[in-house]
Amino acid sequence: MVGRLGVEDMSDQNARGGRDGRGTRLVTPGALLGASEGRRIGHGVVENEGQLIAVKLGALIENEDEVSILPSYTRYTPRPGDLIIGVVEAVQSNLWFLDINAPFNALLPMSLGPGKAEFGGARNVLNVGNTVLCRIQEVDETHSSVVTMKGLGLRRIDSGIVEEIPPHLMQSLFSDNNVLKSLKSSTDCRIILADNGRMWVDGDSNSMSNVISKLEQIRSMSRDFSSLDSMVEILQTEVH
Amino acid sequence: MGGYGDVQMIDDNGIRVDGRTAGEIRPVSINAGIIPVADGSAEVIWGTNHVIAAVYGPMEAHPRKIQKQDRAVLDVRYNMAPFSTTDRIRPGFNRRSREISKVTAEALESVVLTELYPRSKIRVEIEVITAEAGTRCAGITAASVALADAGIPMTDMVISVASGKINGVVVCDLNKEEDNYGEADLPMGVCANSGELVFLQMDGDLSPEEFQIAWDYNMEAIAPVHEMMIDALKRSNGGDE
Amino acid sequence: MATPPVPELLKTHLSKLAENDERLDGRDRFEGRDVIVETGVLARAEGSARVQMGDTIVLAGVKFQIMTPYPDRPTSGGFMTSAEVRPVCGVHWEAGPPSPEAIELGRVVDRGIRESGCIDMEDLCILPGEKAWQVILDVFALSDDGNLFDAFATAAMAALRTAIIPGERFDVGEDRPLPVSKTPMMCSYHRVGGRFVYDALRREEIGGGERIHITLGDDNHVHSLQKGLKGAFTAAEFDEIMEHARSRCAELRDLVNN
Repeated sequence: MVGRLGVEDMSDQNARGGRDGRGTRLVTPGALLGASEGRRIGHGVVENEGQLIAVKLGALIENEDEVSILPSYTRYTPRPGDLIIGVVEAVQSNLWFLDINAPFNALLPMSLGPGKAEFGGARNVLNVGNTVLCRIQEVDETHSSVVTMKGLGLRRIDSGIVEEIPPHLMQSLFSDNNVLKSLKSSTDCRIILADNGRMWVDGDSNSMSNVISKLEQIRSMSRDFSSLDSMVEILQTEVH
Repeated sequence: MGGYGDVQMIDDNGIRVDGRTAGEIRPVSINAGIIPVADGSAEVIWGTNHVIAAVYGPMEAHPRKIQKQDRAVLDVRYNMAPFSTTDRIRPGFNRRSREISKVTAEALESVVLTELYPRSKIRVEIEVITAEAGTRCAGITAASVALADAGIPMTDMVISVASGKINGVVVCDLNKEEDNYGEADLPMGVCANSGELVFLQMDGDLSPEEFQIAWDYNMEAIAPVHEMMIDALKRSNGGDE
Repeated sequence: MATPPVPELLKTHLSKLAENDERLDGRDRFEGRDVIVETGVLARAEGSARVQMGDTIVLAGVKFQIMTPYPDRPTSGGFMTSAEVRPVCGVHWEAGPPSPEAIELGRVVDRGIRESGCIDMEDLCILPGEKAWQVILDVFALSDDGNLFDAFATAAMAALRTAIIPGERFDVGEDRPLPVSKTPMMCSYHRVGGRFVYDALRREEIGGGERIHITLGDDNHVHSLQKGLKGAFTAAEFDEIMEHARSRCAELRDLVNN
């Protein structure tokens, strides 16, 4: 019935935000966006019989000749290479199952796990409830993924706290590197942004509470695409 | 349908018991984002009906047997709260609710791009808080808004309304008495932009001409309700610019 | 109810916060979230209320039915509570028959009200030995961000206090308000980061331990207690939360009665 694009293009990380590509107006699924002639189809848009149609709720973005939607709400879909913060949900003798804040769990096989582990000794290395920093190794056509901890900086995380923000929002907020830099310095915290809508924060108690309350404010504004600038300001403000 | 022809529900001037003319729908208001913990949510107040929908997902489809290899399934639960009707409803399994859940899922699956989420399920929880005829229609309408609010990709939004016949006169959007004592009930679910039907039921007695009038009444209600859906989503998603 | 894995980091963080007398959302240890109570919200119920505490939202509906009194109590009516925690209110609540958690919720709310005697069962008599009113309280969760117990209990009392017995509809007399002689209120405490806190968020519940529910009447009489989940507490800990419960229940009572 409708011409569709491949699965990858609907993945929420492809929703290009950024303050230069901000949206013009909110569109709802089914909204007609004009003729497809001469225009490229971006995230959240499909073509049917020469007409472009929005399929997601979000801000309409018309950059040059591309039409796309910046979604109001996103869930994470894994892509190879993504940096992930995961939590161990289950352990088998040579395999860990991780909750990665996505529709499907990720698998971490022993061969890709941290350091040396004997067969059957998985629990000694990583147990249920542990948090890890890892990367997506591969994703199959059903969005099930395999992750790896072999890589620079990938490790079990034993301090700090993990907070969640909608994935596309994370991209938009931190597309400018200076935003993260100033957040770290203004709060005196170590921060790692993962691609699955999670962020690791570590510092002393006050500093962490500072960051958490900023994120709480941002989460409450997260559906308002016009408030992106205010959100960035919140991240960059020093709290005394 | 009761078909009690002797209950007078429309007078000689064409005014119904609640003051409406034959072609008028009941007052409708829609709000989105009313359940903070859900991925998406909406409420539809349609006449005295108050229906809430919450969407969670996509998520892995459990149990295994409901999984489809190439697409997501819509896991719809339509339920009437115990205090939603004058006579209290005992909580528990209900055949009517199960049927409505099924036809609602089938209506929404026709617009949701389910192929983007193989082996997943998308939970749609429809709860009737207060009932006044047309709850299944309000449920489908609320679910459409909740799915959009949850960022689920859809080719269109579905609006549902039921017209029928009372005292031999075709009327739009049956209320409780009209539904109980009328002679026909035609609920439809229509895509806002394409005008295609994804939900259709009927019971009672309508001549070909009467059927056409009822059909048209339903179709005429689509655009105004669609505007309200858009407005509801704008209000809770910062689209007031 | 599907329990997600509890991250160790969350538990550690909650302990750290507790050491500094802090909580996740910046509240004090015994500080509750803002409570919003609205009554008369359900058109088909004879008494109703909606309560919102942060992102936790619940409804309570009171409906009346006519029952045949039990032979050993021919002039008594009945009171019944049913708690519905359906999948609508959270991703972790699954479809199916009522879970042990939902059943416990209903029974604990019920006991607090029943044992206080705030509803006079004899006053529900219509015709001795033949007819009496049964009061049915349905509490219904719409959004679960922790502490459904107190949200349910508060909504229940607000609904009962504004309920009207539908004598006319059942053709047994005039409509009259349901007489409720006192206002039992519930306060719930959760062990989080090693100590008991009041009005826990869902994230605190997930990372926490046991809980204690206290229902007190107008005169601070104790009407029901419940300890849930695994864990052990001391008499001193109990005294501390009981002291808080006395003042907080009074505050909630004022809110519900006005």
